[in-house]
Amino acid sequence: MNPGVIKAYIVKELTELVRSRLILMVYLMPTMILFLYGYGIRMEVTHARTLIIDYDQSRASQRLIGKFEHSKYFEATVASISEKEAFRRIRQARADMVIVIPESFEQRLLQAQRVQIGVFVDAAFPSRASTMESYVQGVVMDAASAAVPGMSEGMIRLNPRTLFNQAMRDEDAIVPGLIGLVLLIAPAILAALLIVKEKERGTIFNFYASPISRGEFIAAKLIPVFLLHSLNIFILFLWVVYLFEVPFRGSFLLYWGASELYLIISISIGILISVITRTQIVAMVLTIIITIIPGFLYSGIIMPISSMSGMSQIEAHMFPVMYYNHILYDIFLVGQGISSDKTEIYLAVLAVYAAVLAVLGTLLLRKELR
Amino acid sequence: MIKIFLSIVGKELLAFIRSWQLVFMVVYAFSMEVYIAGSGIEIKPRNVAVGYVDYTGGGMSQKILSRLHSPEFIAPRRFASHEELSKAIFDKEIIVGMIFNPEFEKEWHQGKSPRLDILLDATAAAQAYTTLNYLQNIAFRYSNFDIPLEISTHKLFNENADNHSFMALTEMLSITTMLSVILTAVVFVREKEHGTWDIMLLMPINPKLIILAKTFSQVVIVMAGIVISLGFVVLGMFSTPMNGSFWAFMLLSFLYVFASAGIGLFIAAVARDMMQVAQLSVVVMMPMIFLSGAWTPIYAMHPVLQALSLFSPLRYYIEGSESLFYRGTEWIDLCPFFMGVTVVGGLMYWVGFRKIGRLF
Repeated sequence: MNPGVIKAYIVKELTELVRSRLILMVYLMPTMILFLYGYGIRMEVTHARTLIIDYDQSRASQRLIGKFEHSKYFEATVASISEKEAFRRIRQARADMVIVIPESFEQRLLQAQRVQIGVFVDAAFPSRASTMESYVQGVVMDAASAAVPGMSEGMIRLNPRTLFNQAMRDEDAIVPGLIGLVLLIAPAILAALLIVKEKERGTIFNFYASPISRGEFIAAKLIPVFLLHSLNIFILFLWVVYLFEVPFRGSFLLYWGASELYLIISISIGILISVITRTQIVAMVLTIIITIIPGFLYSGIIMPISSMSGMSQIEAHMFPVMYYNHILYDIFLVGQGISSDKTEIYLAVLAVYAAVLAVLGTLLLRKELR
Repeated sequence: MIKIFLSIVGKELLAFIRSWQLVFMVVYAFSMEVYIAGSGIEIKPRNVAVGYVDYTGGGMSQKILSRLHSPEFIAPRRFASHEELSKAIFDKEIIVGMIFNPEFEKEWHQGKSPRLDILLDATAAAQAYTTLNYLQNIAFRYSNFDIPLEISTHKLFNENADNHSFMALTEMLSITTMLSVILTAVVFVREKEHGTWDIMLLMPINPKLIILAKTFSQVVIVMAGIVISLGFVVLGMFSTPMNGSFWAFMLLSFLYVFASAGIGLFIAAVARDMMQVAQLSVVVMMPMIFLSGAWTPIYAMHPVLQALSLFSPLRYYIEGSESLFYRGTEWIDLCPFFMGVTVVGGLMYWVGFRKIGRLF
């Protein structure tokens, strides 16, 4: 390794990045993604547009409707329209759910006869449909137990205690995970074109002909992106803690160290792609495919890894985002830090991952014409 | 005129086919990616990992636990002590922990209300909520009281709330967006990088014709991808219902792909090299995909984002496609979606057209 050569290369790369105004994007993109997803993604279902058709118009039905109207999960409107018209509204995507309270609802309840409430949910969005269904059950059960005194006698009392995220804020559950997504996508895309660009333009021959070694070349490509994106680690931290008000319970040093390690991984992914592809377009599409989609699916944001089955479980373990995000969630919400063996193991996995990718990139890079 | 148009389209298609890496990538994206997203991911709570500590002698606790079965739950794991259970939750191996007190069984038989302590990992909120709801129902069922109230739920359009076909469909729509934007932008920027674009514009052919032909060639590629994806994966492997008109969907797709090609054109007009295309297209596409309502319905978003989503043609496309596939909406009710795609797409196209077609 010749530090002088690497330094010269780094200066050249940095100048190029700054001149092409890409430097703006380097800082704009991560923040933009964080904002969009942080404000945009809501796993919790609130304000489900609910049409209630009340055929009974009795006190009991009014009371039940009142429960729906006061719940923040529903945006209930009592509609005096036919069921057919109501379904048409669902079909036009103007309503999510129709609840039908049958005739003689109160009467039958008082006589302890079976009554059925019809609930029609738009299941074009399946996960939300299931959630809405369980909310409806909750509201109806709630209304029933309020209406009948002494009913909770002898029943098992559930005493739930939520850990890590007592207020059940969506921000706390989602935003830390977004750091893992952002720091995977942005550095990889920036790095993915660095080498293939030279191949397409023909300037790669400078590298073939010069005495610079493969390792030095990779290092010279990796370090500028690494330096530029290191700043993002702090920027993202500030947004998450001060804007989204996510608690921070772990050590900042661990956050910083793990993030830098993760940065090396994502840049190495980009460089590896740049080494194996022949044209920039292929490198671009490949990077987007293998970072954005798995990054999102396996980040643990939309679904915990422990709930995945078979293939997805294996795939989740193949991508680095799972390991990093475990550490992230621990730092932000749990605060065990390196006292937990799992964090230690995952840090080691990240280190091995980074090393393997960097070495692979160096080995696959050719230094002669094919 | 037609001949020139066709020859440019033919040239671009040939250039596409010659790059085997690119052909492979497009086919892969439209088949395997869609398949992986569709088969692997289930947002619906499933396989929830439950752990428990049982200080009672068994009996009642086992009865309750036996109700937690697959596919919603993995068989509950037993822990010797509270501490061990907590540790497993902290390490994210367990999402829901239940603790049966020593008095649980006794109090149950005495007709008192026994207390069941539950620990929930709230970072997996959906799973935690659902499990709690489930346990609540079990508690109701074991209570002596019987309410004569039933809820009969009908899941319209997708009875089993089947997530697979839904995920596959949205994935296909996202990939369509991605490829039509990038491929179109690259076709122009490649010429810019090589310096041949100025020459193209100087030729005695209407530049509008060249631009149109070039975008059209990429639209053809993406449409071919959609057909492959629909035939083999979305309809073939996941048997997504097709309640609406197939041709309405194809027409909507065609309009949409043209609209996103317009976005690609715009990016190509602004960008000077591929690096900028890569950065710009991610900056443009990420909001488009995630504001489209594919992941979170639009009315549940922040109001500012709701307003912004009106500018995303993908929003109209996804809503339109969902309506077509699942809800079986009639032509007449589809008008807003067609209008949305056409207007937003037309606007993008016009801006891109103006910007890239000018020589100086």
